[in-house]
Amino acid sequence: MDLSFFLFLSSGLFLGWSLGASDASNVFGTAVGTKMVKFRTAAIISSIFVILGAVFAGSGASQTLGTLGAVNTLPGAFMTALAAALTIYWMVKLSMPISTSQAIVGAIIGWNFFAGKETDIAVLGKIVSTWVVCPLLSGILAILLYQGVKAAIRHSHLHLIRQDCYTRIGLILAGAFGAYALGANNIANVMGVFVTSSPLHGVILPGGFSLSAVQVLFLIGGIAISIGVATYSHRVINTVGNGIMKMSPVMALVVVISQSLVLFLFASQSLQHFLLSHNLPALPLVPVSSSQAVIGAVMGIGIAKGGRELNWGILGRIGLSWIATPIIAALVCYISLFFLQNVFNQTVFLS
Amino acid sequence: MFHIAVSLFSKTKSLENKIDLFHDKLLDASMTFKKAVRVYLTEQRSDEYRKLSKQIKQIEHDADNLRRDIENRLYSQNLLPDLRADVLHLVENLDKVINHFDEVTYKFFIERPDIPEEYHGRINELCDQTAECAENMAKASRAFFRDLSSVRDYSQKVYFIEHESDLSSGRLRTAIFDSDIPLANKLQLSNFINDIADIADIAEDFIDELLIFTIKRDI
Repeated sequence: MDLSFFLFLSSGLFLGWSLGASDASNVFGTAVGTKMVKFRTAAIISSIFVILGAVFAGSGASQTLGTLGAVNTLPGAFMTALAAALTIYWMVKLSMPISTSQAIVGAIIGWNFFAGKETDIAVLGKIVSTWVVCPLLSGILAILLYQGVKAAIRHSHLHLIRQDCYTRIGLILAGAFGAYALGANNIANVMGVFVTSSPLHGVILPGGFSLSAVQVLFLIGGIAISIGVATYSHRVINTVGNGIMKMSPVMALVVVISQSLVLFLFASQSLQHFLLSHNLPALPLVPVSSSQAVIGAVMGIGIAKGGRELNWGILGRIGLSWIATPIIAALVCYISLFFLQNVFNQTVFLS
Repeated sequence: MFHIAVSLFSKTKSLENKIDLFHDKLLDASMTFKKAVRVYLTEQRSDEYRKLSKQIKQIEHDADNLRRDIENRLYSQNLLPDLRADVLHLVENLDKVINHFDEVTYKFFIERPDIPEEYHGRINELCDQTAECAENMAKASRAFFRDLSSVRDYSQKVYFIEHESDLSSGRLRTAIFDSDIPLANKLQLSNFINDIADIADIAEDFIDELLIFTIKRDI
């Protein structure tokens, strides 16, 4: 395998690292912020489960991104991922509730424009609709869960100490599930653009396990996310845990479960097959934003509590990021591809 | 993993028991106090009174040990990170009431006040009221840990009985100062009445805080 592959993959790995540092914090941020789970425990669990989710359930959402734009050369994929990463960096500096998914979608559209490929409007519409549905669904789930948990606590007469113990166990299990769902849903953002151009081959592991070429690629991306979690997520976790709204451990649990369920709903192929086989409407498998799912869940709890503590301005900022992030990413990608093609003489697309 | 879960549950159960036991100590102290004052009024510093006074001292000692153990476990096992300070505050204030029962009982033993028979009924009534305040305070606090919806019911009882005890102690002191007993006796009795009525006041302050903590604990 050509060494240049890893050079080109570096932008995807950087994107993975930044996803681990920021988005993975959403999974355990509230748990660590409420001091119910130690950062070390959270980092170990999320690292393991992000990789498992990416490798074993990551293909669904990535196929949808592939239909939006199949970036067919390594330099093109490199620049698409880098454009998304740069946009994220910039938007984070502006304190926008950034979504890696929106950045990568914008960058892919930028590549489509540059390569003269047509963007499938139906697929784009499906993806954009999930940006609105994701925080909305997370909020609705949080309201239902919050009311359910509140009623259950009221009627069970659980001792406060026992409740604390159950909440702690619940946070760890929900966090593991959330990390798995994040890996499954968001690996498409990190490695999706490399799927078409990757020269990797499948491997057979000792014990009869085998990984396909895409799974090997997702394993590398998953490891990059884990490194992001281990090396840089501590600060972001503290912001997520304490920054949005003062939360009790039970509220933290509701937030983690809601956003994990939403990520899972948008990532699980087996759930989609199950729903379709029973003639039920299924959600599209699209990478969604864990940050916006968390914000949706927190807002949901705020509404359930009477809406007094809510900061409605943040909704406007999310709406703005739906428009600004993909446009900026598309522009950055288009301009960068131009330089990569004309200054560095790289083939950024195959016609 | 199974071992960790079992150990976590057994530790949780043990702490739950200790908190329950601590509340039991307050109820024990309150009932023993009521009985001790009745015995003092009929027998003064008899062997029976000495026994009851020792009994309260033992309850107070056991409660102190339980309090320290609960506080240690809450911190060392990092339990209730958001409510730990509130729970510690509650436990310490419950302990204060137990200490107060012990102090008043011991004061009777040391000072041996001479209480004219005509006031026995009213002193018993005041002691019943303060003990009832403490008992409802213990029930409200227990409800804080298990059944938030009942906290208000017990709190309301504490407020009502504390007001009654204020009226009782006021009437009793007026009657004492209107009487012909020597001023030294009047002052000593007034002091005792204040000490007994203080228990109900501490219970009322405790309930004020408990109601705030209840709002915070409501998820």
